[in-house]
Amino acid sequence: MGIIQRFGLEAKLFLFQIINFLVIVFVLKKFLYTPLKRILDERKNKIDQSLRDAESAKIALENAGEEKKKILLEAKSSADKLAASAKISIDEAKEKAVAEAKQRSEQILDDAKYKAVEEFENMNKQIGKMSLDISGKVISKVLSDLFTDDEKQKLMTRALEKIDEQITN
Amino acid sequence: MQLSSDVLFSIASFPVTNTVITTLITDVVIVALVLVVGRAVSLRPKGTQNAVEAVVGYFREITESIAGEERASYIYPWVVSFFLFIVISNLLAQFPGFESIKFHTLASDSHGVPLFRAATSDLNLTLALAVVSVTATHCLSIRYTSLKSYIARFITFKLFPAFLFLGILEFTNEFAKFVSFSFRLFGNIYAGEKVMATMYNLCPFGLPVPFIALELMVAVVQAMVFALLTMTFMHIMTDKSH
Repeated sequence: MGIIQRFGLEAKLFLFQIINFLVIVFVLKKFLYTPLKRILDERKNKIDQSLRDAESAKIALENAGEEKKKILLEAKSSADKLAASAKISIDEAKEKAVAEAKQRSEQILDDAKYKAVEEFENMNKQIGKMSLDISGKVISKVLSDLFTDDEKQKLMTRALEKIDEQITN
Repeated sequence: MQLSSDVLFSIASFPVTNTVITTLITDVVIVALVLVVGRAVSLRPKGTQNAVEAVVGYFREITESIAGEERASYIYPWVVSFFLFIVISNLLAQFPGFESIKFHTLASDSHGVPLFRAATSDLNLTLALAVVSVTATHCLSIRYTSLKSYIARFITFKLFPAFLFLGILEFTNEFAKFVSFSFRLFGNIYAGEKVMATMYNLCPFGLPVPFIALELMVAVVQAMVFALLTMTFMHIMTDKSH
């Protein structure tokens, strides 16, 4: 008992300290640890979520890079194909235009030749007619004094027929 | 400076000692901390919340690393409470002139008695903390391992009489915890106060400075020791495989 008194152990003080500390534990647990735990967990979740998002973004970025390369390759391939087909089209069009121009020029040349022949024939016919008229006039002039009108007419007719035959042949 | 605390006055036969006053001041500081931090916790901590989060987070992590996440959730509130209460109480006593304010009672001499004294230099408080720690440990053990396995720690007839003897040793060990918890804290803080009083008497200027640093360290270390021992005992007693 002497030692207990020397250390000042007192039942009331001892009980007061126990109750006091239990109250403090209750207050801390209810009003400090619970909201702090909630915040710490929330922050941890947010950090985890952010890390997951960052990882997803990194993967998406890598995928986007690969997709970009793929698209560029496809675009280049398409462009090459288009350029090749365009070159072929140009060559074809050029050949076609040349062929058409050649055909057209030949046709024009043919038309010109045909017209020249036709003109030539027309001229021949006109010259024949003119010759016939002149011959008739010359014959009638020459024969007007030598023959009668009936003989003249017969001779003239025969002569004209002959000339006509000659022209026709 | 005597071993027991000084009674300042009584309220309905309850003796209000200088350590009770310091205990109440510690309570006020803790409640203020709760009001400042607990009411306005935010995802972006600043100021006091940062400091409290660091302490709570440290003990929570260390408890989780030892006892696992599930058991840590009910062990760490006790551990942090012991640490905060003891460290605040110890650090309050390190304020310059803490014990210089005197209070005159009918029983005191002409110098009076100190109005404040380190709360943990009173065996009533340290023993109360030890009793709470050991009792809480045993309650958690019964709750989380079952009453049967709890009793089997102390009384078992396997390999009779070897394990029965071990059970008796275990039982003795639990009683020894009261003594080790309470006297370690009480002894360190009381001895620290004695050393500081001696140094102030020898040379009040300069000489106490290194001892103030030492006492500040002791104040934190003793709180850590009490809290971590509580955590270890709670972990051992709630371990089903132990």
